[in-house]
Amino acid sequence: MAKAIKTVSTVVSKVEDLGNDTKRFTLVDQDDWELPPFRAGAHMDVHLDQGLVRTYSLCNEPDDDRRYVIAVKREREGRGGSNFLHDRVEAGQPISVSLPRGGIALDQEGTNVFLAGGIGVTPFISAIRHLERRGRSNYVLHWTSRGRPVLTDMIAPAIGAGRVRLYDTTAQAKPVIAEIVGEFARCGLAACCGPAAMLKAFEDAVSAWPEKRKHIEMFTPPKAIARSDVPPYELYLSASQKLATVTPDVGLLGTLDALGVDVPVSCGGGICGACRTRWTEGPPIHRDRVLSPAERQNELIVCVGDCAGQRLVLDL
Amino acid sequence: MMDATAIDEPEVTMSWQGVVRFLHKTPRAFLPMRSFPSLELVAGRGIEGDRYFAGQETGFYSHKPEEGRQVTLFEMETLEALQRDHKIELLPEEHRRNVTVEGVPLNHLVGRRFRLGEAIVEATRLSTPCRHIEEILGKSVFDPLINRSGLNCKIIAGGTLRVGDAVRPI
Repeated sequence: MAKAIKTVSTVVSKVEDLGNDTKRFTLVDQDDWELPPFRAGAHMDVHLDQGLVRTYSLCNEPDDDRRYVIAVKREREGRGGSNFLHDRVEAGQPISVSLPRGGIALDQEGTNVFLAGGIGVTPFISAIRHLERRGRSNYVLHWTSRGRPVLTDMIAPAIGAGRVRLYDTTAQAKPVIAEIVGEFARCGLAACCGPAAMLKAFEDAVSAWPEKRKHIEMFTPPKAIARSDVPPYELYLSASQKLATVTPDVGLLGTLDALGVDVPVSCGGGICGACRTRWTEGPPIHRDRVLSPAERQNELIVCVGDCAGQRLVLDL
Repeated sequence: MMDATAIDEPEVTMSWQGVVRFLHKTPRAFLPMRSFPSLELVAGRGIEGDRYFAGQETGFYSHKPEEGRQVTLFEMETLEALQRDHKIELLPEEHRRNVTVEGVPLNHLVGRRFRLGEAIVEATRLSTPCRHIEEILGKSVFDPLINRSGLNCKIIAGGTLRVGDAVRPI
C-alpha cells in the first residue's frame, strides 16, 4: 500500500544569495497550481532530510498564492537546518512543507508597529506587502540589522515612502523599544520578532497591554487534530510489543503515528469506523459515534479514543 | 391484519432532475480546488488531471484506493444549509468534491446509476466528512457535514461534463 501523503509537495524554483549569509528560496507547485492559503506573517515547517524539519516564516503575502518565499540566514553553529538549506538545496529540487499556520492579526484601522531584529523581519515583510497591496499605510517598521539589511527589495515602496526605520547596529545605537511602542500605548498593534534580548525588551514594554494588541512572533506547533485531554498514560501494543507514553499534547493517534503503526485512519473524527482496534486492557475512553455498547467492550476507535486508566493495551 | 397485496400501490419512480452548478479538481493533496467550465470523465479511472485519477494518484486518501473516488458530488443545498443553520460560509471550491449539483437527492442514490451530463455514474457510498478538511480550511465543518457530505461514485460511461449539464435518473 502506498504511504499516506502528509505534506505539501513543492519544487524549489529559485535560490537567491542575498549576501550577509542569507539566501531566499522560492517554492512553487510543479504545475504552477495555487498553493494552500496562508495569513500575513504565517510560518510553515520545511521537511529537509531524514527527519530534519525546520520552521520558517513566509516573506510573501497571501494574495501571492502560487509561491512560498522564505529567507534563511545561515547559523553556522545552529542545529543544521540553515546549513542544509544553504549547502544542499538548489533550484529544481523537490521539497515538502507543512500547511502554513499562524500569522499576525493586523489592526485594520490603528497603526501596526513592527519591531524586527535581522532576519526576524520576514513575517513583517509579508504583513507589509499584504497591507501595501491593499493600499494601506497604517504601519511602521523599526528594523535593526548588523550591517546591510537584506530583503529590502521586497518592501522597496514602503522604504521609499518613509515607513521603514533602519538601524545599522554596527554604526548606530539600537532603538529604545519602550519609547517606540510607548507612542502607541492606547491603540494599534505592536509586534516583535528578533533575538531574545529584543523580545524581552518588547515583552517588558507591552506587559500591561491587552493580549490582542500585541504579537510576539513565536513558531507554534501544528494544531493537533484530536488532542487528548486526559493525564498521560502508558500505551502497550501487544502484537508488535511496542511501548510508549501518551501525553496530552500528542494524543493517542499521534503516539501511534510516532511508533510507526499504520492504523487505517480515514475521517479522523470518530464517525467512519476505519480505525477500529481491539483493546485488552484499559478501560478506554470512547468518543466515537460508531461503536455499539457491546462493541465498545473490546474495540476502540483510536482516532478519537483515550484511556481512563494508567495503561492501555491495543492489539496492534 | 391487512393484506398488503390487496392495496393498489403506485409504482415508485425517481422523478427528480438536477443540474451541475460547479466543477472542481486539483492535481495533488492539500492544493486548493480550481474551478473549471468542464471536466473529462474517464470510465473506470476518474477525472483527467484530478488527484484521484487511477494510475496517477496523488490524493490525501490515495493510499487507500477506492473506485468511488473517481468522481465525487456535493449538494448546493448543503452549502445553503450550513449558512442558514450554522452561519458557516462554505464555498463550492472548499468542500473538495468535484461536482456541485442542485436538485439532486444525493443521499438517496447509493447503489443506483444515474446520468451526469453525458456520462453515467454509479454511486458507491455516501462521503463522510473528515478532519482533513478542517485542517485545510480552518473552518469547523466536521459535525455540520455528518450525513450530508456528498456522494462517492465510479464512472460507468465517460464523457465531457459541463457546468449547466442535467443530472437525472436512468
